[in-house]
Amino acid sequence: DSHTQYERVGADVTMKCGSMEWDAAVTWTANGTDIDESHLNGSYLILKNVDLSQSGQYSCYEGSSWHLKYQTYLKVGMPPKEPVLTCRSNNYPKGFYCSWHLPTPTYIPNTFNISVIHGTKDMVCEKDAVPKNRCHIRYLQLFSTVKYKVTLTVTNALGKNYTAVTFDEFAIVKPDPPESVVAKPVPNNPRRLEVSWQNPSSWPDPESFPLKFFLRYRPLILDQWQHVELSDGTSHTITDAYAGKEYIIQVAAKDNDIGTWSDWSVAVHATPWTEEPKHLTTEAQITETTSASTSSFMAPPTTKICDKGAVVGSGAVAVCWTAGLVVAAYSVLFI
Amino acid sequence: MAAADSPSAALRRRDLCSRGIRLAGKMRADVVDLLDAYVERQGLDASASVAAVEGVPLAAVERWDEQTGTQRLLENLAAYRAFRALLAQMLDEQREQLGEADAGLGRALAAVLLQVSAFAYHLEELLRLESRGIPGEEEDGPPPPPRLSIFEQKLRGLGVLRELAQWAVRSARDLRQLAKPSPATGAAPGLAESP
Repeated sequence: DSHTQYERVGADVTMKCGSMEWDAAVTWTANGTDIDESHLNGSYLILKNVDLSQSGQYSCYEGSSWHLKYQTYLKVGMPPKEPVLTCRSNNYPKGFYCSWHLPTPTYIPNTFNISVIHGTKDMVCEKDAVPKNRCHIRYLQLFSTVKYKVTLTVTNALGKNYTAVTFDEFAIVKPDPPESVVAKPVPNNPRRLEVSWQNPSSWPDPESFPLKFFLRYRPLILDQWQHVELSDGTSHTITDAYAGKEYIIQVAAKDNDIGTWSDWSVAVHATPWTEEPKHLTTEAQITETTSASTSSFMAPPTTKICDKGAVVGSGAVAVCWTAGLVVAAYSVLFI
Repeated sequence: MAAADSPSAALRRRDLCSRGIRLAGKMRADVVDLLDAYVERQGLDASASVAAVEGVPLAAVERWDEQTGTQRLLENLAAYRAFRALLAQMLDEQREQLGEADAGLGRALAAVLLQVSAFAYHLEELLRLESRGIPGEEEDGPPPPPRLSIFEQKLRGLGVLRELAQWAVRSARDLRQLAKPSPATGAAPGLAESP
C-alpha cells in the first residue's frame, strides 16, 4: 500500500515495511536508489534528524522475491508559524480585502481559513481566484463604529497557527496610487513643470468620495524632496524647478476625510524647458551664444557661482570670468 | 417646473451643500480633538468598547447609496437634534463632576454643541429649500434617562462623541450626494428620487 507521510525537519523517522516482521530480510529504496543497510534496524528504516532533501518516495521490497511490500511518500516540512495578515480598503465604500502569507515556508501543503466578524455578525470573505491568498468582503453597513475582527487560521499536517486583526471601517481605507502620472515642461518657462495624473481606477466613486493628493518632486542631483498637498484637482504646476535639471516626481492619494495615504505612484522624470542653443560657425557667434546662454542658465537660488569682484558686464548678462569660461565650454559642446 | 428645481434653487442647494460639507469637516476635526481631550481628562481607555447607548443616534446605515435625498436630510436632522440634547446633558454633567477645574473641556464641549446646533439649522434650511416640511421637535422631549453613575456617564459621553464623529463624516458624504447634478437634466436631483 502507498500513502503520504509528513515529518518535521529534525525529527527521527522510523518506517516499518508494512506487515513484515522485524527480522524479515528487506531492501529499502529512496526514489529508486537502494538505501544502505546501516540505516536499517531489522526491517525498519531509521532516518535520524531528517532534512528537506530527504523528502521523496520510499519503498520496501521483500528480500528474495523483490515483491513491493510497502511504499510511502515522505514529505519533510515545518508546522506553520504565525501568519501575517493585512486588510485594506482600496475601493471604499464598496468593501475591503484581506491578504496573508507565511513568514517562512513550511514546504508542505497548507490550508487557510479566514473568518470575519462585525460586532456579533459573521461575514463571508469571498476568496479571490488570483491571488490565492486573498479574499474580499462587501460592506453591508457604512459609518459604523463597531469594529471588524478578522481571524486567519493556517493548518498543515504538522500543526496549526493563527492570527487576528481588529480594525474599524475608516482605519483601513488606503487608495491605490494615482495612475497615468505625466510631467511635461512648459514652453518658454525654464522653471515650470506641468504635472497631471488620474484617480486610481480601483476607487469606485471619486465624485462622492473625493481624493486629495500629495505631490513630491526633486531634481535628480539632490536628495531632499519638495512636497505639495492638493485638496482637489488632478494637476499641478511646479513653478520653482531648477532650470535645466532633470526632476523626479511622484504623487500619492488619500480619501479626503478618512484612512491613510496611498503608496507613491510610479516615478516620472521631466526636465523644464530650456532655450535651444544656436548653431555657431564664427568666433563672433560663439561670443554671442555665450551671452545668450547665460540668460537661460539660471543658477539655483542657493548656489554661488563667483565673487562679486570677478563679475564682468552688468545687468541681466553680468557674468564672472570663471563662470564665463565654464559656460563657454558648455556652449561649445552644443556646436 | 417645481420651485425646488429652478436654477436659483439648484444654485442655492449647491451652495448650502458646499457650506454644509465644510461645516461637517470642521465639526469632525473639532470632535476628534474633543474626543482625545475627553478620554484623557475623564481617565478613560481610548480603545474601550462602548455598547450602543440608548438615545444616541447610530451613524451606521445599510444600503447608504440607495437612500433618497429626503431620507438623508431627515436622518441627519434627527441625529443632530439628538446630539444637541445629548451634548447639552454632557455639559451639565461635566460641570457637576469637574466644575471649574476643567473649564477647557467645558469650553470645547460647548463649542462642539454650537456647531451641532448650527449644522441642524443648516439641514433645516436645505429641507425648507426643497419645500419639505420640517419635522417638529417633540415638545416634551424623550423621557429623562435613568440616573447613571459617574463612570457610566463618562462611558456614555465617549459613545456620544464617537458616534458624532462618524456622523460628521457621513453628513459630508450625504451632502456630496445631494449636491450631485441630476444626470438627466443637469440640475440637482429631486430629493424624492433616488440619487
